[in-house]
Amino acid sequence: MKNGLYSGFVIAGCLLLGKVIAANFGGLPASLYGMILFTSALHFQLANPEKISTTISWIIQHMGVCFVPAGVGIINHYQLIKDHGFTLVAIIFISTFILLSFVGLSYQHLVLNKNSDSD
Amino acid sequence: MSQLINNIDALTLISNIVLMLATIVLYQSFAYIQNKSQLIWLNPMLLSIVAIIPLLLFFEFPFEEYYHSTQFLSNLLEPAVVALGFPLYQHLNSIKHQWKALGSILALGVILVIVISFTLTIVFITIPKIAVSLSLKSITTPIGIALSQQLNGDDSITAFAIILAGVFGALLGPSWLNLIKVKSAKAQGLAIGAASHALGTATISKISYEHGAYGSLALIICALITSLVSPLLISILSIWLL
Repeated sequence: MKNGLYSGFVIAGCLLLGKVIAANFGGLPASLYGMILFTSALHFQLANPEKISTTISWIIQHMGVCFVPAGVGIINHYQLIKDHGFTLVAIIFISTFILLSFVGLSYQHLVLNKNSDSD
Repeated sequence: MSQLINNIDALTLISNIVLMLATIVLYQSFAYIQNKSQLIWLNPMLLSIVAIIPLLLFFEFPFEEYYHSTQFLSNLLEPAVVALGFPLYQHLNSIKHQWKALGSILALGVILVIVISFTLTIVFITIPKIAVSLSLKSITTPIGIALSQQLNGDDSITAFAIILAGVFGALLGPSWLNLIKVKSAKAQGLAIGAASHALGTATISKISYEHGAYGSLALIICALITSLVSPLLISILSIWLL
């Protein structure tokens, strides 16, 4: 519980600072600035990773529920799904496989095979 | 009069809490079923959405009201993104030696997928809002939704596309990569993290530790690159194609 509060406090602090940065400089969404600040805080030992790790795995495991309301919004697109549902799914399918193949093949051939001794 | 307003407020508060709890309970039950059955396509996020839609339609409950009532859950998206900084911190050491190669491969991949998704959508569906949403589908949901709001995409289409990209990669990714002879755990993890974000990564983490580590590395770097390049890239594509 104590660690949970500590983690919440650190995350909220980073997010708040991220909001200040985003409001003043724009560029990235506030939450991404917050993420970069959080990583830096951990890296430069301003925050204690051991106290945070359990809370983080809990958050990552359960965060799916936060996306449900946004996802239900697809209800407003009945006409779109009716007209273009198949095309929509096909585009997602094709581009996902192109990305999978591109990253997998490039990394395997350009990085791994080159320094196979250092791996 | 003020008594009446207070009563209405209390009623809204109660219905908000009920709707939110109902959403959480539904999600947790699906999560429990998936945990027991270990079937990837029983994704609790996807199933909750598929279950809630007919319920709202049946009770003729307006979506706007549902969304408003569960606003608190959507507000948690921001701290959830911040929390993703933790796995990135854990992998900082392993990227140190290869960040140039990793960064360039992932950056090219991100640009490639945005150009392909945006162009295909404009050509076949011709709605710019949808094209923006589909361009953002390879990154993790909280960041995808934040970007979709920033770039005038449609949140719900973005969320839907992200889940589908995740399910495709998680279900078919490993066998497809084996087929095209990408067999190292690092390369498979990186590819699936890049194309199928957290959903893919969570699924392949069960294959090996390296799969999971490289998956989360890729998903975070891709999200960062996407938020850096997508505003400019999408406005250039819009000028060219529209």
